[in-house]
Amino acid sequence: MSLLIKTHLKLARISIKENRTRSFLTCLGIAIGVASIILILSLMGSISRLVSNQVKNIGADLIVVRPSTNKDAMSGIISELTASSSYQKSNLAVSDVPVIKEIEKVSAVAPIALSTRSVSTEKNTMDSVTVLGTTTDFNVIQPLAMRYGSFIDDTNENKTAVVGHTLALQLFNTTNPVGKTLTMMGNRFIVMGVLSEVEESINFNNVDFDNTIIVNIKTLEQMGVSEQIQQINIKAANTDSLAEVSNNIRERLKEKKSGDVNFTVLYGDEITHPAGSLFTIVSGMLTLVAAISLVVGGIGVMNIMLVSVAERTHEIGIRKAVGASGQNILLQFLFEALILSLLGGLMGLILGYILAFFVSIVTPFAPYISLQILLVTFGTALLVGVIFGIYPALKAASKNPIESLKHYR
Amino acid sequence: MNDTVIELKGLTKRYGYGDTESFALKDFDLTVKRGEFVMIMGPSGCGKTTLLNIIGLLDRATSGEYKLNGENAANISAARQARLRAKKIGFIFQNYNLIEDLPVIENVALPLVYTRTPRVARLKQASQALAHFHLQEREYYLPSQLSGGQQQRVAIARAIVADPEIILADEPTGNLDSRSSHIVMEELKAIHEEGNTIIMVTHNPALTTYATRVINMLDGQIDTDIKTVADHKLPKPVEARSKKRKGRSR
Ligand SMILES: Nc1ncnc2c1ncn2[C@@H]1O[C@H](COP(=O)(O)OP(=O)(O)OP(=O)(O)O)[C@@H](O)[C@H]1O
Ligand SMILES: [Mg+2]
Repeated sequence: MSLLIKTHLKLARISIKENRTRSFLTCLGIAIGVASIILILSLMGSISRLVSNQVKNIGADLIVVRPSTNKDAMSGIISELTASSSYQKSNLAVSDVPVIKEIEKVSAVAPIALSTRSVSTEKNTMDSVTVLGTTTDFNVIQPLAMRYGSFIDDTNENKTAVVGHTLALQLFNTTNPVGKTLTMMGNRFIVMGVLSEVEESINFNNVDFDNTIIVNIKTLEQMGVSEQIQQINIKAANTDSLAEVSNNIRERLKEKKSGDVNFTVLYGDEITHPAGSLFTIVSGMLTLVAAISLVVGGIGVMNIMLVSVAERTHEIGIRKAVGASGQNILLQFLFEALILSLLGGLMGLILGYILAFFVSIVTPFAPYISLQILLVTFGTALLVGVIFGIYPALKAASKNPIESLKHYR
Repeated sequence: MNDTVIELKGLTKRYGYGDTESFALKDFDLTVKRGEFVMIMGPSGCGKTTLLNIIGLLDRATSGEYKLNGENAANISAARQARLRAKKIGFIFQNYNLIEDLPVIENVALPLVYTRTPRVARLKQASQALAHFHLQEREYYLPSQLSGGQQQRVAIARAIVADPEIILADEPTGNLDSRSSHIVMEELKAIHEEGNTIIMVTHNPALTTYATRVINMLDGQIDTDIKTVADHKLPKPVEARSKKRKGRSR
């Protein structure tokens, strides 16, 4: 068998070489599809890596509670897209925070309450600014570098806020607005700190800190604003008992919510999975587009193989007359299709990473290469080759030898 | 030892139906024994090529029986028919039927691809076969770079390269000059003397001297059938033919 495979490979090589231009164009069709898949996988991999690096930086003692998304995924996505605020409705509450804090071996607990508000200063008014309501523990769990001033605390009588690096400039036309006031939700807040520029804009909190205002969640409560809690960050006392602590959290919250388990407790690598369903939608759509272009590429392979079979009818007749079985002919043409699509896959791999490289110049997403991506690439290329190569190959195999022999060029 | 190789009984090949119905072969009976050199003659369109195609397992009869080495051809699977074509049957066509994209030597080696002979052995055997026809210097020419006569000699080299038992030749000398014709016929004669069976279609009555049997066909049937050599004088199969063939290179 291996002998015949070697022969088929050689024949395919000869045939592809002989029709260099059209083989190249056919490969290009596959290459574009594969390249877009590579690009998407590389982007998703890169985003996951960024988030996981973030978690690593924070430390291995992090536990996160998120509202679970076990309701129908599609309706979740729709409600998220149509809601005035793009933040998920959640069944976590501020009152969960003290409950968790009481648990043994928990050293800090910070809720993440995100909303969008319109904010105005003497200079400017901005319509949708991300406001993060949390507690002072936030800085214990994930210390944010301050450029000016200090982080929110519990002692200040006034309503205070910390502003992100980029936002400070946009709202106040200066990099250091400490001591100035901003107005939102009908209240005046004193700016008491400005964050340093954050290098990794993607993190497990799903917050772009450069463009966020951080306020004490107690201040919000006093104002009577009820916030949705998107996430609760928890720092365990040590890294050994993460499983035990997260189990306790799960039990205690379940108790408090009288049996309701509409939340998930995550630690370690589980945290790193980007949760945003918008991310899921976008990558899903991109994958669909890539799949369509792969199908188009596959049709190109089928088309060229049909031409090749028609052109080589005489050859097929001769081969059958001297002893080729239908299976021999089938394999010969199937191999040719496979090699075309594998070459296309290889071209797509290179093209995809060139694109990923260009993307990395304008975004923080470095090209991401993994064995999985390589396997997926060659798997899809092979699959396309088989699916679109089998029909022309069957057609070749079933040709009548006598009719074929009469077929002169 | 002169057992029957080919046995045809009531073989009929019909084309078309109703008004367009025509018979390329009609109730055709023929028995060919091992070692016979059969020449088939007859006017154009009398069914000679059709007969060879059916014997060579390239075509199927509409009705009637064909036994190859005692085995009913209708019962042989397509895959085994292909293997028989590669190993036991050598075809020489009226036109040369070479693959234009492959060099001469690869064309000659083609049947060996399907008998699963390793590549080096394949090319060696092909090279030897070409040497018989004084084409050793043209091994890497493409068929289109050869004269018609040379192409036909390549096709004959291809037919004998796998050392088949039956050679089916459809006017093999039709395009050759007398010198090349002579080489071809001497080669076929040598193959025949090793105990092989040859069935050859020709329009040249002068070549019938090589035959042990001459059949004249007319309208898909046998008109005359003359054996010039008695059955018991037919050449006996030579054991280990291939060894002898190798030693015979000129
Ligand atoms: N595919 C076909 N469809 C219809 N009729 C056919 C077909 N092939 C052959 N025939 C007919 O069968 C008959 C025999 O054809 P065949 O090719 O066997 O003749 P031949 O004896 O080889 O002639 P020649 O000496 O010219 O080669 C012819 O009348 C031909 O028209
Ligand atoms: Mg003919």
